[in-house]
Amino acid sequence: MLVQKKRCIAMLLAGGQGSRLKVLTEKTAKPAVPFGGKYRIIDFPLSNCVNSGIDTVGILTQYQPLELNEYIGNGQPWGLNKTRSCAQVLPPYERHDKKSGWYKGTANAIYQNIDFIERFDPEYVVILSGDHIYKMDYNAMVEFHEKSGASCTIAVRDVPLSEASRFGILNTNPDNSIYEFEEKPAKPKSTNASMGIYVFNWDVLRKALLEDEADPNSSNDFGKNIIPGLLNAGHKMMAYPFDGYWKDVGTIDSLWEANMDLLGKEPAFDIRGDERHKIYARNNALPSSYIDEKAKTVNCFIAEGSEVYGSVQSSIISTGCTVGAGALVENSVVMPGVTIESGAIVRHSIVGENAKISRNAVVGGVFTPEEEKAISVVAKNTVVETGTVVLPGEMR
Amino acid sequence: MNVMGIIFANDANMGELSHRRTMGSIPFGGRYRQIDFHLSNMSAAGIRHIGIVSRQNYQSLINHIGSGEEWGLDLEEGGLEFLTPFAMSSSHSYRGKLEGLFHAMNFFNFGPDNEYVVMADSAILCNLDLNSVLNAHIKSGKDITVVTKAGIANGKKQLDLAIQLNESGEIADIAVDYAAPDNYLASMDLFVLSKSLLRRLVQECIARNLYHMDRDLVLGSWQRGEITLNVYNFPGLAMFNESVEEYFRNSLALLNSRTRHDLFYYNHPVYTKVRDRVPTYYGEESSIDNCLVADGGMLEGSVRDSVLFRQVTIKAGAKIENCLIMNDTIVGENCELKYVILDKDVVIQPGTQLIGTPNRPIIIKRGEKV
Repeated sequence: MLVQKKRCIAMLLAGGQGSRLKVLTEKTAKPAVPFGGKYRIIDFPLSNCVNSGIDTVGILTQYQPLELNEYIGNGQPWGLNKTRSCAQVLPPYERHDKKSGWYKGTANAIYQNIDFIERFDPEYVVILSGDHIYKMDYNAMVEFHEKSGASCTIAVRDVPLSEASRFGILNTNPDNSIYEFEEKPAKPKSTNASMGIYVFNWDVLRKALLEDEADPNSSNDFGKNIIPGLLNAGHKMMAYPFDGYWKDVGTIDSLWEANMDLLGKEPAFDIRGDERHKIYARNNALPSSYIDEKAKTVNCFIAEGSEVYGSVQSSIISTGCTVGAGALVENSVVMPGVTIESGAIVRHSIVGENAKISRNAVVGGVFTPEEEKAISVVAKNTVVETGTVVLPGEMR
Repeated sequence: MNVMGIIFANDANMGELSHRRTMGSIPFGGRYRQIDFHLSNMSAAGIRHIGIVSRQNYQSLINHIGSGEEWGLDLEEGGLEFLTPFAMSSSHSYRGKLEGLFHAMNFFNFGPDNEYVVMADSAILCNLDLNSVLNAHIKSGKDITVVTKAGIANGKKQLDLAIQLNESGEIADIAVDYAAPDNYLASMDLFVLSKSLLRRLVQECIARNLYHMDRDLVLGSWQRGEITLNVYNFPGLAMFNESVEEYFRNSLALLNSRTRHDLFYYNHPVYTKVRDRVPTYYGEESSIDNCLVADGGMLEGSVRDSVLFRQVTIKAGAKIENCLIMNDTIVGENCELKYVILDKDVVIQPGTQLIGTPNRPIIIKRGEKV
């Protein structure tokens, strides 16, 4: 059944566990992990969609979906709840022919939702993932794709050669057309790393998904199967270079770094930006933050609903936190609803939602600029008792 | 229980602050507009049909409230209605609240007749449980309940409606527009009565060219023995923002944690329009002491004992004390401001000095450049 003809819709892969975020994703899907004081990771791709004029987004969820589903709700915070727009959560489901069940891989997740996509009869489908922090105009990429006449366009960014073997690398001709794809090559030939953002002609993708599903040896993955498959079949594929800020926040270190990138007078990632690239989030009904006379707040982001009586430096304090008198927070990411009691010290740490760092507890350590920083993590809802020490790099 | 709400958005003015907006849309407490408090009171009490009576300058109010979704009032049935002069039967503005209500009589045709009506005024802010007021009203068996606050009357402040109780708690005196001594209770301009009674009293008053809510409907009817009154004295916090001086003092009172609790958390959360600003950035050289700070700020200077609204920019070297700085305002390098209210979208050029007094803060109007 055709609901409404759309030129382009987006499918957002939000089902991954994000196991490298360890305790932070034990009970939370990675896209629902808080970021930047008042956001969650999924706010970035969702806001990018809205800012790019894509008003129909299918969100594929699987791992620990409760919080994520609740957060997405009807899509109202992103304006995706209107007559002509939707944010549709798509969990795995059971089908009459038993050809379904848990999403086996990224391609299988889309395969299982072909019916959803067909309802909009799109020319183009944008495939996104829910674990990157960036601002991007997908529409510009779709225009690029359309003009090039390719079957598939992949967003790429230039990475240092030393890191290139961690990514899917696209080797291109001078006109940006792709002649080779190498997944995590030991000896990379170029530094064009795939960002996991794809634009497909829907008819091409549909056919590829059906063929991939019929192949019992496939791992049903975009990077491993669909992309190389289309390339081998001779489809024209293009690389779309993107040079703005982009960060995969799949690890504790990268999540911490991406948060730190928001700070400074000229931050690496200017989340403020202009009105057209606003990041939307579900908001809480909390009053403005109170900064006490004895508080010290230097080079930090503090979201609304917080009360600061202690010292906060080079840190992110999220919505609804309390930093008690005499407490010290440095180089840390404090997620929503955290209480840091008087005299507690939190350094080089990520403190999960609603955790409590009791009086005089010490979390994390100090590092010289040359040293590799070992980030300490306190999981969601965890209480670090009075006087306890959580060592650098330790997880609680 | 069926209850309708009425909020009067502009039956007072506060000089330059209400020059181009209603009392209801005056910004307060960093992220709110004054009307948010009664909208949240009503919404939290389950009131699902609310009329907002405004006589002029209501564009900012309509822009703020929109469909009412932030307060859970964007409903299929009921929800919010703007009772502006245009929507009323006559296009001229009204002289008193009763004319406003009379012109909006169609609003009361909605729903069954056995409903109650809660009427509130957006100049008085509180966080109270309207259901306990309603229950007390019903239990009292009286015609009208007036919600009052002790400790407001001081012999100087002109009260819209002042009530004195005798030792057994009965009403001894009612006075209107009266600088009552401190043994009077001040009306919070918050009333509960049945819909049928309200309709009848409004029609009776209008038929006699009477339009003043407190003088004609409450005092007049009570003096003639036509109605009985119940007094509900609210023990919590009530902020009477009826003059610039009071507004300024009450704004800075939010720097006290008890006051914040009583206004923002006492009975329920207070909802307001979502603006999706980024968290506030506190710069390397900034010094922020004893301040209430909303989202979106870019703070490089030093600020103490002040309220900073959304998306405020304070440049390096600026020194600010006892100020209210509203949305999107920019204070340039090395400015010195004391006892100043900067309205929205103001730009203060670098090096400017503005010094007001606690009783007479300097007000810079919306959009001005200094």
